[in-house]
Amino acid sequence: MSNIYMPDLMEVVEVKQHTADVKSVKIRFKDAEKQKNFSFRVGQFGMYSLFGEGESTFNICSSSNWKDSIEFCFRKTGKVTDAFWRIDEGDTIGFRGPYGNSYPMEAWEGKNLIFIGGGIAMPPIRCAIWYALENRAKYGNITVVYGARTTRDLVFADELDQWAEYDRVRIIKCVDPGGDTPEWKGEVGLIPNVLAAANVAADNTAALVIGPPIMIKFTLPVLDKMGVSAPDIYTSLENRMKCGVGKCGRCNCGPVYVCKEGPIFTMEQLNALPADF
Amino acid sequence: MITQQALRALVDEWIGAGTKVAGPSYVKKDFCQYVPLASSAELLLEGFIHPRNSIKEFFFPRHEKIYEYALKGHEVELADMSPASTPQVIIAARPCDTAAVAILDAVFNWGDKDEFYTRRRDAATIVALACVQHDSQCFCTSVGLGPDAEKGADAMLLPMDGGFEVRCITDKGRALFAGRTQSSDKTAVIPEGPKVKMSPEQVRKALEDYENPLWKTATLRCLSCGACSFTCPTCHCFDIVDEGNAHGGCRAKNWDSCQLCMFTKHASGHNPRNVQGQRQRQRTQHKFRIYPDKFGEVLCTGCGNCARNCPVSLGVLGTLIELCAEMPESVGESK
Repeated sequence: MSNIYMPDLMEVVEVKQHTADVKSVKIRFKDAEKQKNFSFRVGQFGMYSLFGEGESTFNICSSSNWKDSIEFCFRKTGKVTDAFWRIDEGDTIGFRGPYGNSYPMEAWEGKNLIFIGGGIAMPPIRCAIWYALENRAKYGNITVVYGARTTRDLVFADELDQWAEYDRVRIIKCVDPGGDTPEWKGEVGLIPNVLAAANVAADNTAALVIGPPIMIKFTLPVLDKMGVSAPDIYTSLENRMKCGVGKCGRCNCGPVYVCKEGPIFTMEQLNALPADF
Repeated sequence: MITQQALRALVDEWIGAGTKVAGPSYVKKDFCQYVPLASSAELLLEGFIHPRNSIKEFFFPRHEKIYEYALKGHEVELADMSPASTPQVIIAARPCDTAAVAILDAVFNWGDKDEFYTRRRDAATIVALACVQHDSQCFCTSVGLGPDAEKGADAMLLPMDGGFEVRCITDKGRALFAGRTQSSDKTAVIPEGPKVKMSPEQVRKALEDYENPLWKTATLRCLSCGACSFTCPTCHCFDIVDEGNAHGGCRAKNWDSCQLCMFTKHASGHNPRNVQGQRQRQRTQHKFRIYPDKFGEVLCTGCGNCARNCPVSLGVLGTLIELCAEMPESVGESK
């Protein structure tokens, strides 16, 4: 295609509401041939358009093994996501992608994996969890630590139960103090504290940590104490983007274009960057 | 050489043949800009230092449609608005502006090509006009250029008695002037440019300290208006927005600036660069460290427009000089 900003038209196949302000959307290329030939790697992102409203950047939160459609998930927070909140099955939206780098799923083979996510950070982790579970034999123990403010803010809550049924998978759910209900069976506390108390073996381990900056900040020392070092801790940056292809200059952070060289970085790489994220 | 009269006749010939021609012109009293020319009478060939804008807008317009959309129920129709390859000539561009285009080629061509830029670029011929004057804001010689630097130019006009020496640099330039020049036993004498005012290597070294207190103090006056980047020949950040309603409209690329407070603001409210010092630091980092590391060239041609157009006379050059002043004499030395 010569116009790199031209999106493909996608049909909305399914819209699912997760919380009071989070929905996930399943979309499919209108052109069946394009859908058939589309491939991506988990961790990559796309630019999603609602014509007349604008374009937003979201991770592709479905597994790369699912060939029938792709999914994205968003929180209603701005102009474009407010408009996305109103879309329905059968509507047409635009998609450009896949863009950016991806999780090193091959390099993680043979390792134990710890996935740590806060709130709306579950979607970009979810794609990697499903990918690992679908290739279960290739990975060691899988631990998922997922926290939200309240029991009603958990995204993809139903899938947490599905994951727990796989071998060597431990799911630790937590909500902030005060966010629990009498029926809540998970942990109560902030992610760093819950992780510290969970006694997760961390030998030969890669960790994926995604969430608000404050959560990441306090989770890193806990991982360090567990013995997971900076080169083995991965995160996904969420710098604002417009073009997604290294032109518009917006996601620029120190020497990197997050859209091209990211969004996935190790903590070792991030430590060398200015704190412009 | 070519006489001024012959040159103007040639320009009128290009315009008459349907070629888009742009060059410096007074758009109002004492206010010179590069603009599309309707006739050679509008073209300014002497008596100005540097137009208030740059020639980047002839390749990377301030506003351009990417595509049009039309909504019909659940369906959407898109119409690609990629530009046609229309021939254009940029005449009498300052060498700092022509060099900027050569530098910008890297970013619009790496990875996916931005054909909105590359098509216009391929169809353009750029004729530079060497400088015989400079002002206190000019610092081309500090970034390896000069009053008759040929970078990015297809041909160059060098002012001399009775007209201009014509130096054809590329095939495009040769084609433009083929058979239109006359021989002369004189050559133009171009005076030296501004004295060297700062060193990009020293700026680069100084930039390794992200927490330099200079960013807090030197930028207090900045209004965050973006004039420095909009008039900069190399600043190329842009925004992508929809303009239209529920029936149809377009998606557009608009100029943007890292100096504006909304530039990096996340939907969540989090802003990685929420104070002006951080934004000025980013702009300087991008020009003297990030771009050179990625594309091998400093993203600055020393045109001085950032300082010339600053409403509070902040003077980016001044900031750079201050940055360098903190550095030890020898560039190679560690701090």
